[in-house]
Amino acid sequence: MRLHRVRLRDFRGVHDREVVLAEHGVTVLQGDNEVGKTSTVAALDLLFDAADSSRRADIRHAQPAGVDAGPEVEAEVSTGPYRFVYRKRWLRRPSTELDLLEPTRQQLTGAEAHARVTAILDETMDRVLWRALRVEQHTAVGQADLGGQDALTRALDRAASGPTGPGTGAGRPDPAADDGLVARAVDELRRYRTPSGRATGELRAAEVRRAEAEAEHERCRAALEAVERDVVARDRLDAELAGVRARRRAHGDEVAALEDRWAALQSRLREVDAARGRAVLARERATSARERREARDALVAAVDADAATAAETAAALAVHEAEHVAARDVRDARRAADAAARAEATAARRAADAATRAVGAARDRAELADLAERLRRVADAEAGLAAAERVLAGASVDHDALAELEDLARDLLRAEAARDAAAARVELSAPGALTLVVDGEELTLAPGETRTLPVAGSRALSVPGVLDVRVRPGLDEAGRDDAVRERARELAEACEDLGVADLEAARAARRAADDAARRAGEHRSALARELVGHADAAALRAAHDAVRDRLEGLDAAGAGDDDLAALRAAADAARTAAEDAAVRADEADAACRAAEDAVRDADTRAAVLAERAADARHAHARRVEELRAARADEPDEALGEAETARRDRARDAEREHEALAAALADDDPDTVEARVVNARGVAERLAGEVARLEREHAETTGRLQAAGHQGWHDQLAAAEAELDAAGREHDAVTRRAAAARRLHDALTRHRDRVRRSYVAPFRAQVERLARIVFGPSLSLEIDEELRITHRTLDGTTVAFGALSSGAQEQLGLCARLACAALVDPADGVPVVIDDALGHTDPERLARLGAVFTAATAAAGAAQVVVLTCTPERYHGIGAATVVPLAPSRRPAERGAPVRDEALRPADDLPAAAPGTVLDLPRAPRAG
Amino acid sequence: MRFVHTADWQLGMTRRYLGARPAKEAGGPTGEAQARFAGARLDAVRALGRIADDAGAAFVLVCGDVFESNLVGPDVVARACEALASFRTPVLLLPGNHDPADAACVLRRPDFARRCPPHVTVLDTPGVHEVAPGVEVVAAPWRSKHPLTDLVGEQLAALSPAPRGTLRVLAGHGELDVLDPDDDEPARIRRDGVLAALRDGRVHYVALGDRHSAWADAVDDRIRHAGTPEVTDFDEVDPGHVLVVDLDEHAARVRTETVGRWRFVRHDAALDTDDDLDALDVWLAARPDKERTAVRLVLRGTLSLRQRTRLDDLLAGHGHAYASVEVLEPHSDLATVPDDADLDALDLHGFAADAAAELFAAAAPEQGDAEARDALRLLHRLVTP
Ligand SMILES: [Mn+2]
Repeated sequence: MRLHRVRLRDFRGVHDREVVLAEHGVTVLQGDNEVGKTSTVAALDLLFDAADSSRRADIRHAQPAGVDAGPEVEAEVSTGPYRFVYRKRWLRRPSTELDLLEPTRQQLTGAEAHARVTAILDETMDRVLWRALRVEQHTAVGQADLGGQDALTRALDRAASGPTGPGTGAGRPDPAADDGLVARAVDELRRYRTPSGRATGELRAAEVRRAEAEAEHERCRAALEAVERDVVARDRLDAELAGVRARRRAHGDEVAALEDRWAALQSRLREVDAARGRAVLARERATSARERREARDALVAAVDADAATAAETAAALAVHEAEHVAARDVRDARRAADAAARAEATAARRAADAATRAVGAARDRAELADLAERLRRVADAEAGLAAAERVLAGASVDHDALAELEDLARDLLRAEAARDAAAARVELSAPGALTLVVDGEELTLAPGETRTLPVAGSRALSVPGVLDVRVRPGLDEAGRDDAVRERARELAEACEDLGVADLEAARAARRAADDAARRAGEHRSALARELVGHADAAALRAAHDAVRDRLEGLDAAGAGDDDLAALRAAADAARTAAEDAAVRADEADAACRAAEDAVRDADTRAAVLAERAADARHAHARRVEELRAARADEPDEALGEAETARRDRARDAEREHEALAAALADDDPDTVEARVVNARGVAERLAGEVARLEREHAETTGRLQAAGHQGWHDQLAAAEAELDAAGREHDAVTRRAAAARRLHDALTRHRDRVRRSYVAPFRAQVERLARIVFGPSLSLEIDEELRITHRTLDGTTVAFGALSSGAQEQLGLCARLACAALVDPADGVPVVIDDALGHTDPERLARLGAVFTAATAAAGAAQVVVLTCTPERYHGIGAATVVPLAPSRRPAERGAPVRDEALRPADDLPAAAPGTVLDLPRAPRAG
Repeated sequence: MRFVHTADWQLGMTRRYLGARPAKEAGGPTGEAQARFAGARLDAVRALGRIADDAGAAFVLVCGDVFESNLVGPDVVARACEALASFRTPVLLLPGNHDPADAACVLRRPDFARRCPPHVTVLDTPGVHEVAPGVEVVAAPWRSKHPLTDLVGEQLAALSPAPRGTLRVLAGHGELDVLDPDDDEPARIRRDGVLAALRDGRVHYVALGDRHSAWADAVDDRIRHAGTPEVTDFDEVDPGHVLVVDLDEHAARVRTETVGRWRFVRHDAALDTDDDLDALDVWLAARPDKERTAVRLVLRGTLSLRQRTRLDDLLAGHGHAYASVEVLEPHSDLATVPDDADLDALDLHGFAADAAAELFAAAAPEQGDAEARDALRLLHRLVTP
């Protein structure tokens, strides 16, 4: 099919627009959003599919808003041998017009026109392929469903089988190539079998019906056979009953005769039984008499035995008594030995103790002497210490007080020096010796001598009688003199406080105190030395006193000759002797205890033997009494006579019984009894037989009566008919199911074979185009449904679904364009691509342009129509015819610039040639 | 003396080719044609009863197989009793091989005894029964399914010639040895003995049952089979009659009355061409009383796919009108062999054509692949909707 031009009027936003398409190659319809690109494609679908009377939703949506006009579409199309102009208007004054131009001119309208176009399209065009090769706006460019396309299949068939193969030259779509036939075969198979091969539907129902019919038939047949068996059984039972009853009557007479004989024999049997009873009783009595006599014999023997036992025990007791006495003697001897040994041991121990004490006393005496010496030294030291401490107690000048005095003395010297330095001096010199009194004191001056007298305060010089001179200091000199006096007074006061006369006395006192302290320290050291091991002197004295007291408590013996070594040796010897004596005493004690035990054992044994002897005596006495009593009751001779008499009676009774029994045995009662018992058993059995047969007869009759109402014949007839019908149906359905499977298998097998052969040429074509985009290393895997499953590029294989959106889009486009290139020109349909390739980068876009050109290069290749609002995506298509679309508005809305734009033709093409848009001004239509 | 001789009513009989219904609903006749067939048997009884009444017959003698089985249901028994009650002439019922006088005998069953009209007598005890002054019937009933002796001969041997003025009719059931010379069957009726009894006047008429077609002995036409009053099988010759017998000491004048209305027809046809199919179509269309006719076809020949489809359509179409149309498979030899025209008619291309060609090859006569032929017929149907 080829589209020559499409004209839309009042279709959605389009007022009136005609688009003329290039007959070959690519037509790019470019325009902004909403300009009506997609409407053009939608309009074609409506034109071909929807009758003018249709009011489908998409038709109602095609009605322009606010305009009282029906949407109208007109297209000029050539397909197969036909070329026609087809026009439809919906909703308002609907109409359909067909102007058939080729092969013969013809004009049709209304439903006739629609039917004619539908027939033409069905005949010449693969409408499914037309849909499949389209890429809708806003949908991903995925895989086209190409597996079942007639036209493509034919093309591939041609490519796969060469020019001479089957399927060439098909002038019309091939219905058998349609998967529809396979689908119908599958549907047919599914009537009988599930995909897993289980019976279902009619086949299952037929199987169930047959199985049920078989079961029912078997049930009825068994029932019928049971009835027939019962009929036979009834005949048999009738005969058997008659026979058994006759036998029973005959047997009755025989039983009566035997019973009479048996009754006579039975009374004699009872007599024999009585005789036997008597014999048994007599025998029992004889036995008891014998037993009594034997008991008496035993009693006599027991008395003798008891006497012997008593004698034995008495003898044993006597023998033991002697042993008993010997044991006591041994014990007494041992006790004496033990006492002696114990006395020796005590004496030896005492001697050892005395030797030990002598050693201790000698040691004490030495210690006492030492302690007395230390006590004396302690007393000396204490006396020295007390004297020193008395001195110390008297000493009033300590180091600090002395230092203070020294300071005061120094201050006084300084004050005197200062006074003297500053004071007026009186220098006295006398040319001859002169005596004078100065301040009351006589002073003699040698000739020449000069004396200088400081004037510190007033001074009185007098040469007695000659002259009295009073020298008085000035004011300053008086002050200095006061300071000296003050210092001297302080010193004097300090000395007085300390109780010393002056500084020198203080220094002497200090030295005496230090000396006393040193002596006290020496005495304390001596004390500590002597008191080592004791708390104080009192303790030392106490220790001394304790030793002394100890010694006073002892005998004074040996005092004086304290040879410690000798004393120790004597003590050791005494101790050894004591230990030996102790061992001997222990041995004697053990021997004594053993003897005591022996005596105790002998005591116990004596008691036991005595008891035994007493018991034996008592037993003997009792037995003697028992025998006496028994003899008093029944003497020994009486017992013997009774035994003999009863034994004789028992023998008589036994002989009588034997005689009677022998007489009865001659008449053979066992045989008679056996025959009677047997005859009774036979009678019983016959009665049982009759009862059983009668019961079976009654049961069989009852069953037969019941069966009469069951209509088993009718049921079996119905079951047979049903089984026959079910069997026939099952056979028929099984045959149909087998046929369906056979057909299905044959069709799918051949289809798959053909499809496999289609893959190669299709892949070759797709790869040819895709290599332009992806480069020469590309190869593709394509399945039997003609879907790309994997892409291999540079040795890397990726599943289609895992490819990027861009790569999927490009491969999808290549597959569609490959179809366009492959399909026979007579079968071809336009490939419509509505704004695809949004995922493709500029480099690939440029290569895709080459793909478009390559796919549409062949003579007669399909039309390709690209709708886009981004024309730069398709600039790379060399062989494109570009048709710019502008809004087609109603005259009232239309603006001049838009009109200019719309009327401008494509760059290098003349107007009215393919690729133009005629935006036709016209008057608004009426109505 | 006039009486009606009939036999083999076979009440309760069903025929599987008259249709089935699920066994769950068993009991009584099954299927629509089955029910009509059962009704027709009872109608025949009523019809012969009317004939007897109209002819003033002394009795109706039914020589065995009144019922198809001793184990027919109470409904069959009840309807039979109703049919017997529709006329007045006394009826004598002899137990035959289908309803022998054994422990299960339907003619002794309580439900039969309760409903049985008073003019009906069951001849379940062998021997002479006086049925009217000067008229005796000698009964030779079956007492089990497999008698070990000639029951009729046994009765005849025990008889002395009939007293003067007494007419004797023997009622028996079974084949004469001349009709079915099976040496191993001990119950065969010896014809010599029967002829002798007729000759020396021990009996004057030997009324027999068991043979569903009417028959008279060539030597003495007083030995007769009445046949079934309504057809029961395809191999019966001239069924559907009863005999009205006028009897005296020397001869019997027998009038045949038709009471049966159903037909069981076997038809053999050779089918090789479309003309043969046309002929079969015409034959089937021409039968009268189709709703009371069962047809059994024996078909031979070779048909193409298209012809086979036509045959199926043709049989299905007529089948609706007939009580039954069935092809007797064991005796038929009808091959379906697709021909080139069939292949062309499919008009297949591409892989479907390949598949079809494969099936055609397999379906060729020498291959004998019936499944492939079926598959082709299915393909034919799928391609030409
Ligand atoms: Mn019969």
